[in-house]
Amino acid sequence: MNMIEKILAKASGKKEVKPGDVVVANVDTLLLHDLSGYITANVFENEVKKDMRYPERVAMVFDHHFSPPTQQRAEVLERNREFARKYNVNLFDCGSGNIHNVGVRKGFVRPGTIVAGSDSHTPVHGTMGCFATGLGNNSNAATVMAYGKAWFMVPKTIKIELTGRTKPGVTPRDVALWLTGQIGEGGAVYRAIHFTGSFMKELDVWDRWLFPLITIDVGGKCGFIDPDEKTIEFIKQYTDQPFEVFTSDPDCEYEKVLHFDISNLEPQVAASPTLGNVKPAAGFAGNPIQWAELGGHGGGRLEDFRQAAQILKGHKLAPGVKFNAVPSSRETFDMCLKEGIVEIFHQAGASWFPASTGSNQAINMGAMSKNEAMISTHARNFPGRNGSPEAIMYLSSAYTAAASAVKGCVADPREFLEVL
Amino acid sequence: MPSDLKLMNRQRDGGDRVSKKTGRVWKFGDNIPTDQIVRVDRALGSMEEMAKHVLENYNSEFPKKVQKGDILVAGKHFGQSSGRAVAPKAIKATGVGAVVVEYASRLFYRNAFEVGLPLMECPGITEHVSDGDQMSVDMAAGEIKNETTGEVLKARPVDPFLMEMLEAGGLIEFGPRIDEWKA
Repeated sequence: MNMIEKILAKASGKKEVKPGDVVVANVDTLLLHDLSGYITANVFENEVKKDMRYPERVAMVFDHHFSPPTQQRAEVLERNREFARKYNVNLFDCGSGNIHNVGVRKGFVRPGTIVAGSDSHTPVHGTMGCFATGLGNNSNAATVMAYGKAWFMVPKTIKIELTGRTKPGVTPRDVALWLTGQIGEGGAVYRAIHFTGSFMKELDVWDRWLFPLITIDVGGKCGFIDPDEKTIEFIKQYTDQPFEVFTSDPDCEYEKVLHFDISNLEPQVAASPTLGNVKPAAGFAGNPIQWAELGGHGGGRLEDFRQAAQILKGHKLAPGVKFNAVPSSRETFDMCLKEGIVEIFHQAGASWFPASTGSNQAINMGAMSKNEAMISTHARNFPGRNGSPEAIMYLSSAYTAAASAVKGCVADPREFLEVL
Repeated sequence: MPSDLKLMNRQRDGGDRVSKKTGRVWKFGDNIPTDQIVRVDRALGSMEEMAKHVLENYNSEFPKKVQKGDILVAGKHFGQSSGRAVAPKAIKATGVGAVVVEYASRLFYRNAFEVGLPLMECPGITEHVSDGDQMSVDMAAGEIKNETTGEVLKARPVDPFLMEMLEAGGLIEFGPRIDEWKA
């Protein structure tokens, strides 16, 4: 069996599971954010009407709002707070950070466990050796909250082996954007994706994070990386709770195996309307942008701020460009303060925002008119997620976002980096 | 399908009621995200209000003119993006009797059965039906018939666990019947 099959078997009290089996499994963690938390709370109280079985396993993170823009939204958040108090579930209020980063940093994500979430990017926690997937409001309310369980169909697994080393100025995010195009939207529907290979092995955990993150947007159910010493050391920073590590058997079966050498990759950009619309940055070079942002489910990491700071140091944003700096957690902002990154961004003309999920779906910020475009480290570029369905979202590395902000148009970052 | 879920032999009641549908086709394209089925700023409002605006950015006539029992046809990766179950709920609230797509996003697929919205995946469907055609869907038989052209298509089979859930009306009704939840 592979890692997730072992986790699903254990959590459902079975010796073995195979693709196609439907199992009812114990869920260790349920992550909710401020929007889905509200909808889930309403389903739980109005339709399910049962007790909360394991409130300690539930974490609600207000990450789409850092400061409610309307009375209606303030009432949504207040309702969520009342729900959290009433059922004694963990609440992380406005300003805590992005749901997935908070989930990890507060110890809710441990290898060998099942992490369910209302957010569709929940598969990101496969980075930590979890079976992690997004569930709908009804599963979360009717089975996870009520019984601490959920139904799962065991997926077939695709293995992706990445080898090689990236060229200077090319980041793991470029690899992940490119890989999304290679697998294709819908290229892994209902599948698990096992990310392996020497390239993955060498990455630090927050860079590995960018790979299971793409799973949902190629149609997958979950993505995972077998935990190693790096993973274990990483998780022990955030939790004292014991956990059991599962890894894939060397002879486990895959539906297919894809191998990619990423050594010759250029910086990548994925432009609206879909993630599959990905090309080397040079292919979009010169397209005007008015906004840049480091933030979102996969962005706003310390690694992103460090990269962008290399380019912003000593530069000013191009006239008319606004740059949103959105840390993924309070700890990330703290590190940016200590490393002088806050100052570099401010002097360049960028604006700091509270730790949150930033312009994701333009709930609290980041709406655009039909004439505007943004370049960001967000996870999605679908029409209508940031205001006008005609507005354009370019997804890129932090290097490329910063270089584009300085030039006022999509740009290959290598002209700003001293590389050959 | 594990035998210990004790589902295989359960009496199906009213199976035909949910599994057979005939209606007018409303046809949409590929890669439609849930954000465009129900816009996020409406996702916190009432279901009645959401239903009035379903898919309006693609076809503004659809939410105004859709009739009970009509069939929604769409292309590849229908319901991608956010996994909010309000997307299939709002489609169901318009009266749509069944959704037939080339293939659905995993979360939309799961949510559709959990909220009791009949959904079938039928590769090739968008080439064989036109907007406004009359179409019949037989979920139990896995068969789709374009009543306007007479053409018959085969759909992917639906797992019996999901058919049971659909026949129960959704997960909230179905869940408490399974002993495993309580163990």
